[in-house]
This record gives sequence, structure tokens and C-alpha cells, in this order.
Amino acid sequence: MSLAISKIDLTDSCAVWRRNSRVYLRLWKTELVAPIIEPIFTFFAFGFGVGALVTSDVEGLSYLSFVGAGVLAFTVLMRTIFEMTYGAYFRMVYQSTYDAILATPVNAESLAFGEIIWAVTKGVVDCLFILPLVVIFGSATSLFTPLSILPLIFGCIYLGGLGLAITAHVYEIDYFNIFFALFFSTLFLCGAWFPIEMLPGWLQIVAFIIPTTSVIDLCRACLTGNFAVKHIYESIYLLIISVLLLEWALRSIRKRMVA
Amino acid sequence: MNFAIEAKNLVKRFADIAAVNDISFIVKHGETFAILGENGAGKSTTMRMIACRSPLTTGELSVEGLNVKNADRRIRSLIGVVPQENNLDPDLNVRENLLVYSRYFRIHKEIAQTRCDELLEFIRLKEKANAKVEQLSGGMKRRLIIARALLHRPKILLLDEPTTGLDPNVRQEIWEKLEELRRTENLTIVLSTHYMDEAEKLAQRLIVMAHGRIVVEGVPHEIIKDKVKKFALEIREADSFNLRQTDKILSQKRGSTHLYFAKLPKI
Repeated sequence: MSLAISKIDLTDSCAVWRRNSRVYLRLWKTELVAPIIEPIFTFFAFGFGVGALVTSDVEGLSYLSFVGAGVLAFTVLMRTIFEMTYGAYFRMVYQSTYDAILATPVNAESLAFGEIIWAVTKGVVDCLFILPLVVIFGSATSLFTPLSILPLIFGCIYLGGLGLAITAHVYEIDYFNIFFALFFSTLFLCGAWFPIEMLPGWLQIVAFIIPTTSVIDLCRACLTGNFAVKHIYESIYLLIISVLLLEWALRSIRKRMVA
Repeated sequence: MNFAIEAKNLVKRFADIAAVNDISFIVKHGETFAILGENGAGKSTTMRMIACRSPLTTGELSVEGLNVKNADRRIRSLIGVVPQENNLDPDLNVRENLLVYSRYFRIHKEIAQTRCDELLEFIRLKEKANAKVEQLSGGMKRRLIIARALLHRPKILLLDEPTTGLDPNVRQEIWEKLEELRRTENLTIVLSTHYMDEAEKLAQRLIVMAHGRIVVEGVPHEIIKDKVKKFALEIREADSFNLRQTDKILSQKRGSTHLYFAKLPKI
């Protein structure tokens, strides 16, 4: 059995990507509100609000430095997941955009990949707006700060793949509620707001299995310059999960659309 | 002889249900071919198999001499699909709908611009080029979908119930455009429809499908002569009074409307 990833035609995926970017450029003013407003208020809440209660250092960092990676990853990943769930579902079911595209030489795999690289692009664009805020609020102290885009790209691929695969299995929009209940629950465990070492042992294992934990940890390493051996393992884990979920998304879209 | 479409013992099963059950037919180059039948007869599934959107369960299907099992990309570049439902892109305007779509066929930008102007002229929507899709009437949307399917100069145009839900003068207009296309572009047209009048008006040959099988095959006017009674009497609210029925009159009931068919009127 051949891999779905091997069936991707990059020129076709690019055509799908360009369709989405054209719509984005038309709506760019509304699209950019969230990635600017959200992190500012998250910094207010966690940096100044919760941060005021945290007097000791967290993993050798001030709380504001610690929480920066969480704010950055939280905003970027959230955009990706919404784009690949509700956004993709609208295009697939309500607008039948996928149907229209699949009547052309573009195959299901290239369509799905085009959608995912679009979600990644949106994440990266958001990241470019949030990073200066992270610097302004004093959370980025290292010269490696721009590198934090890399773990976020893989975070977007993994969550984009997961989101699109789930979307391909959803036949009623309300089913997203179950997925989001699980997804939001994991976000509180993945080391964005406190070190996962504070959790009981078994819950730490759960936290490490959630790939978002690796994304945030790697982001934090880039923002603060505190690298460790565990970051190599986290990178490998994130890479493997991204490829697996990408493959699952491609297969799921084919199964849903070509039947 | 090489045919535009050749289907042999085509079967499509969804779980235990055979949506298409062992059908064979051919479509010749340059003809308009109709697949007639009620909802659930298997028309759309057959169209989806031709468009390489639905893998065959068993059987053989070739389009322009290419096997759907291994040449789907090539086939999809040779056919233009007009779906039953409107799937124009509401996020884009009329012109953008064509231009963005042309990229999926890898049409060069400048050629796409010219082709786009030509087609907007052909469907008489040039003055609406910058309008949003929602601002178009049902007939205009249908015309735009047809134009979109013609962007890459396909050899075969597949139309799934092209005039369902449109008012009579718009249907007439669409028919004229399709006839013009067949004549001037030498296009092979395959359409599925509920309406005998549509099949009669457009098609040179047709098949009638029911429960996934072909029940009648032939030339429209001969089928009509043979199968359809010459006179029909429609009585609405017929339940409110008693009508005596003779053996020579065939009747059909649709809700409270009774339809009576006879070869000769008996008054």
C-alpha cells in the first residue's frame, strides 16, 4: 500500500493554497485582529494578573518569561485548529469548495495538503505579529527567538493534520464540540502556564504524550536560550507525530471525498 | 471504434446496496447523451464514476480511451463537470471564480484571462464580472458553473441535472447554450435528468435508469412514441370526486393529483 503523502502534487497544492490566500488578502483586516488582540490580553491576564501572585522563579525564569512561549504557541495553534476544523468544514460541506476542486485534475491528497500548508501559513503570519509583542512584554530574552517559528510550524502541521482528519470524519458540525472539549482540556496540561513537573507522575506522562507540550517547550527554549538534551527528543517526537497525522489527514479526506 | 465513454458491466455498491447494478453503455464522440431516471435511480453515481470521483466496485469504464482506474488525473483534465448543486466559491467574485479555477488546470495566466473574457461574453455575464456570487440569480449561477466547466476546453461535458429548480425560460436559455456548444465546439455532452422533455430536446440517445439498472435504451423520440401515451389528462384534487376508470386508460396517482394516459382521447 502506497503512502498518501507520496501522492501529493506540490503545484496542485499550491493552487489550493493560492485560493485561500486570495480570500485571506481580501479579508486581511478582520483576519489580523485576533493575533494582535488575543496575546495582548493574555499577557495582561497571565503576566500581570497571575504573574503578580508568582513571586518565585519558574524553571529559573521570571513568570513573564516563562509564560511567553505559552502565549505565543496558544494563539498560533488555536488559529490553525480553527482553520482546519470549522474553516475546512465550511469549505467542504457548506460551500462544496472541495467538490469543485476535485472535479479538476487536483487529487484529494494535494487538496488536503494545500489546506494544511495554508493553515500553517496562517499560523506563521500570526507568529510574525505576535513575536514582537513577546519581545515587548519581555518574554523573549534570547537571540534564538526567531527560531521559535520552527517548532510552531511543526505544531501547526500536527494540529492541522489532526483537525482536518477529524473534519473528514464529522458529518454534523456539533460533533466538533466533543473534539474541542478534549482539545481544550489538553491545553491546560501542556506546560503553557506552569511547568509540567508540578503535576503528579502519571499526569506528567500524559502531558508528555500530548505533542503540544513539545511545541511549547521547544518555543520556550528558543525564546530564553535554555536548551537541553530533552529538546532533541521532543523535536524527533514532534516530527514523527506531524508526519503521521499528515498522512492520516490525507487518507481521511480521500475516504470522505472519493467514495 | 473508439468511443467517448464506454462502460461495461459497471457496478457500484455502498455496503449492501447496489447503487449501480451491472450497466453497460457507450457514448459516441460529439453526441449529447442523456441518463434519465428518478431520484435514487443511479444517475448521479454513474456520473461520479465517469468523473473519477467514485471508484468502481466491478466492471470496466473508459473515458476517451483511458481507464478510470489508472488515468484519473488525465481523464479529469479532459472533462468539464457541472454539478447538481451550486458549488461556486462564495468567497470570490464572478471573474475570480473562473481565474482561481483555471489554476487547478494549470492554464497560463494570460490565456486564462482571455478565456475568462470569452466565456463571460458567451454566458452574457461580462457586466457582472465583479459581482459577488450571491448577487447572481439562479440562472446566472448555472451559466457561470457551465462557463467554469469549459475553461480548459474539455472534450466531454458532464452535467448532473442541469436545469433542476430553474424556471422555464431559464431552462430554455440553458438548453440553447448547450446545443450551441455541441454544435460549435463539437463537445460530447452527457447529462442526467429527471425530465423527459429535457432529454428529448437535447439528446440524440438516452438510457433510462431505475434501481441501478438500465430499463430502456434508445433514441428519445422513438422511446416517446413507443412508451409514452399520446394524451394525458391531469386532474387535480381528484380525490374529492369519483372517476370511473376503464382498462384502456392508464392512471397514475401523485398525492391527490391523478394523471390519466391514453393513446386516443375518449370523451
